[in-house]
Amino acid sequence: MLLSFVQWLQFTGFFTALRGSAYAYPIVLSLHMIGIALFGGMVLMTDLRLLGWAMRKRSMSDVVDQFRVPKRWGLLLTVTCGFLMFGSKAEEYYYNSFFRTKLILLALVLVQELVFYRGVYANPAALDQAVRTPVTAKLAAAVSMLLWISIACCGRGIGYIEPPLDKIHAQLLPRSTYEGETAICFLSNPTP
Amino acid sequence: MLLIQSNAIADALNSSEWVFPIAECFHIAAFAFSIGMIALVDFRMLGVGIGRSTPSQVAKATAPWTLLGLAVVLLSGPVLFLSDVRMYLHNPSFRFKIGALLIALIFNYTIHRKVALSDSSSAAVRVVVAVVSLALWVSVVFGGLFIAFA
Repeated sequence: MLLSFVQWLQFTGFFTALRGSAYAYPIVLSLHMIGIALFGGMVLMTDLRLLGWAMRKRSMSDVVDQFRVPKRWGLLLTVTCGFLMFGSKAEEYYYNSFFRTKLILLALVLVQELVFYRGVYANPAALDQAVRTPVTAKLAAAVSMLLWISIACCGRGIGYIEPPLDKIHAQLLPRSTYEGETAICFLSNPTP
Repeated sequence: MLLIQSNAIADALNSSEWVFPIAECFHIAAFAFSIGMIALVDFRMLGVGIGRSTPSQVAKATAPWTLLGLAVVLLSGPVLFLSDVRMYLHNPSFRFKIGALLIALIFNYTIHRKVALSDSSSAAVRVVVAVVSLALWVSVVFGGLFIAFA
């Protein structure tokens, strides 16, 4: 069911064209990283501020509120590019353990947001008035930081897993060359 | 000579399959952090968001964190580079990236810093400096990513 969906997705005209272009993938990946710089930079700094480790001269509401806009634009860019990369090689991603882990962690981010949104992020002005930073705010920040760093590492990990060529649907453009390369490497020199 | 010496280092780095990916994760997290901080200053200078602070306030508040991020980037980068010196030196994207990085670093700590810290800079100057800064750092990221595809 899910497998047939990802197969359908990657063979739609749009994603077939995207996969066929030599430059599309690295360009989209670069934009994904630019989005991460914006989004990830803002997330880390917001978390560091909530933990009381950075920008202590600025109030919490100043940091949380002012970082919100660049953070959202960064997220939009990252998610859009991420989906484009997924769609162009959806079946390969489907089998990738790092990708699966990454999706689970992203679901946990949603849980984190649901749990802490009202108490922490929706009303940062209340945090300024508190004599000591509430434990919930620090917990929210620590969980957020841990999740996002893990997500970034899983994202990088995706590229380290070789696609299971025996399972994957044929006709993918780079596949034939890929297979040939693997065979040649294996014959001449198994490990460097 | 550089290549011969680097072989010993490369062997050490390549002896564990975890060194490269871990260094990469540090590299990615740190560049995201430092470029994110620089982008904040640029957005403020462009007048996009961060409305409650002046450019100099944003620049001062982010400066130590930008520096920390850049320090981690510049420590993890050579680990990646030394794992395969020959490949990187011949890689056109890598050469482009290093060139863009040097210009971006110099720009960031001279003109960019001066204009950001002066709240009396004219709007036009700020916009130009912010656009140049963003363009330089975007080039560095693109160059870095294209190393794997060149």
